[in-house]
Amino acid sequence: MGDTDEQQTWIAQSRNGDPAAFAALIRAYQPMIHSLTYRMTGSLADCQDLAQETFIHAHQQLDSFNGTSKFSSWLYRIAVNACLDWRRREARRSQLHDSWSRNRAVESTEVDGREALDDLSREVQAALMKLPDKQRAAIALTVYGGHNHAEAAKILGCSETTISWRIFSARRKLKKLLSKKGDRHE
Amino acid sequence: MNNSELDAKLKAAREPALPTDYRNAFPQTVLKNLRPSPRERAREEKGKVRQPWLPRLAWGMATAACILIAFAIGHWHGLAEAKAGKDALANTEFIQETLAMFPNRVRAIVQDERGVNLVLSDQETVPTSTPIYVRICDGKNCSSLVTFSGQEIQIAGQKLTVLSQPDGGIILEGNKFVWSSSERIYAGNHLKIEAKNLGTAAM
Repeated sequence: MGDTDEQQTWIAQSRNGDPAAFAALIRAYQPMIHSLTYRMTGSLADCQDLAQETFIHAHQQLDSFNGTSKFSSWLYRIAVNACLDWRRREARRSQLHDSWSRNRAVESTEVDGREALDDLSREVQAALMKLPDKQRAAIALTVYGGHNHAEAAKILGCSETTISWRIFSARRKLKKLLSKKGDRHE
Repeated sequence: MNNSELDAKLKAAREPALPTDYRNAFPQTVLKNLRPSPRERAREEKGKVRQPWLPRLAWGMATAACILIAFAIGHWHGLAEAKAGKDALANTEFIQETLAMFPNRVRAIVQDERGVNLVLSDQETVPTSTPIYVRICDGKNCSSLVTFSGQEIQIAGQKLTVLSQPDGGIILEGNKFVWSSSERIYAGNHLKIEAKNLGTAAM
């Protein structure tokens, strides 16, 4: 999503403390942020909390957005960092039951979402949750966010080579995980 | 499985749909939880720091003046109790002390069935002039006061303006009556009125 004149106005007005302008920004970007936070957490409840946290952080840091990148990229970066922080907090909290909690997070979407996801959706999300956080972030940004490697590298604050390596590693693991699952269900 | 097949599989995975109510309320939920941004905080702080010192000083001085006046009124009540007799306002010394205690603030010293009371102006705006003594009886009660020309005073249930004439005469103008010490014009029918200049001795 490029920054239209209207969005630039909302950004400027939000900086001046106009809540209506910031609400307009939230409305424009909330689907994108919810999608990312869900892919990163696998839990609808956590996805909602992190989406809220993202916009609150964005409001706090609005002055640091200098317009050299797209607002969406800047927002993505805040969201990814919020998700990585969340994972660190979660990991500390449930270090001993890490894998159990990851699986539980995906399964809980049935309750959280009040909707049973189809098998494929659940399997894909479960496979994503088995990736290291930074690899999952790279997949979320490129496959689901539609960013190229250079943009993803900017958002994640690393080199393009690092991103390419993370994506390569992630794909290798996902192919293994999803091939097995696919075979089992076929 | 090649990369395209993997991507197709990943993209085919749905995300749980967010409830419409949640989606619609989300912006407001975020706004409710926002803290002021650093810029807004700085603006607020700036507002606080740049608050002009002059009004604050004025408030401080006004408060100090109020405290002093309250203290003086307390002292004056002690004085009034000591000097109050049947007609405290006939006591020139008491009037002098009262006027000296609240320079250009005394609008009237009133004595009625409740005792001696002081009517003060909130600012030092009462012009220095010869004090005027007024006594009004309505058949049941009598009230007397010492005031100055031009003051509007509530006495014996009447709101009246006391005016001093150049020839020394006094005019009392109420809502329903006019009384003059020199010409005997009087439109009130049940009031007994007496008024006189106290002269410079009472100042």
